[in-house]
Amino acid sequence: MVAASMVGYGALVHSADLSLAFGIVSTLGIWGLPGQVAFIEYMLLGAPLVSMMIGVSLANMRFLPMSISLAALFRGSGSGWRWRYLWVQFMSVNTWVGLMRRVPELTPDQRGAFYAGFSTICLIAGAVGVSAGFLMAEALPFFVTVSLVFLNPIYFAFVFAAMRARAGLLAFAAGAVVGPPAYLLTPEWSLPLAGIIAGSVGHFTDQYLKART
Amino acid sequence: MSSGIQEMSATGIWALLFLAIASTYLWRGLGTMIAARIDPESRVLQWVSCVAYGLLAALISRILFLPVGVLEDTLLVDRLGATAFGFLLFFVFKRHIGAGTLGAAGAFMLLVWARTHGIL
Repeated sequence: MVAASMVGYGALVHSADLSLAFGIVSTLGIWGLPGQVAFIEYMLLGAPLVSMMIGVSLANMRFLPMSISLAALFRGSGSGWRWRYLWVQFMSVNTWVGLMRRVPELTPDQRGAFYAGFSTICLIAGAVGVSAGFLMAEALPFFVTVSLVFLNPIYFAFVFAAMRARAGLLAFAAGAVVGPPAYLLTPEWSLPLAGIIAGSVGHFTDQYLKART
Repeated sequence: MSSGIQEMSATGIWALLFLAIASTYLWRGLGTMIAARIDPESRVLQWVSCVAYGLLAALISRILFLPVGVLEDTLLVDRLGATAFGFLLFFVFKRHIGAGTLGAAGAFMLLVWARTHGIL
């Protein structure tokens, strides 16, 4: 899954005349596809430095609420808590969701080990995917590359739709509705704005429904 | 197309990359610091998780409706049609993630292929 979505990024790096090493380091270092794509696009435009930093940073602002809830899960897990500043670097939407889904079955102490193994595999898969995309960039037809890019958001949509927690599902549904209009209103700030609105809707609707039953 | 990059030296490009990595880690590190200071059972943390879910949903929905990059060259009706087909399979197979994902991606690939070959 991770590998497939990174194939599209590999093809993008190739089309920008950058090296394969650059593609791999940027993947493992930034480790968040929207930020990576924003970074390459800013480089292509030759945008001013400050504008680029803000753009990449904003594209990955989602990591703030994600890392708060991820790191909180490592309490009570020896290696998880000790190495938490490393584990958040390994965090992507994929690894975050992967841990969230398993939390009910794992004891706090198993979380660190599970996450370490899972996120490392994802990093390796990401590096393999970028390399494959880079090397095959000229051989793949348009309908294949574009479908690989499409695979990423669509996979997340189903992972979230399969969630059991009502508050999260409500927040997710609200976010899907608020997302596009928020982007038209303010492209740079749309994600934090939509997240706060949709998250509050989900959280407080859930509290309200709980209070009524 | 790559004029911006060709004007830069190799060292300059790598320096930019490390700045980009650092500015991304800022959020990760900040979140981890905050996590140590709040109660894991608190409502604040539940709200923060909801914000993360809402934000990711907004991102996915924006990519489907208003994409940037290669997806821009595809039709909205194809993206939404493939997604709807995926959700149909998802519910038919009792909320099965694999069925939904493969169904949507497969339908999308078929639609784009058919259009590039002038079938649709």
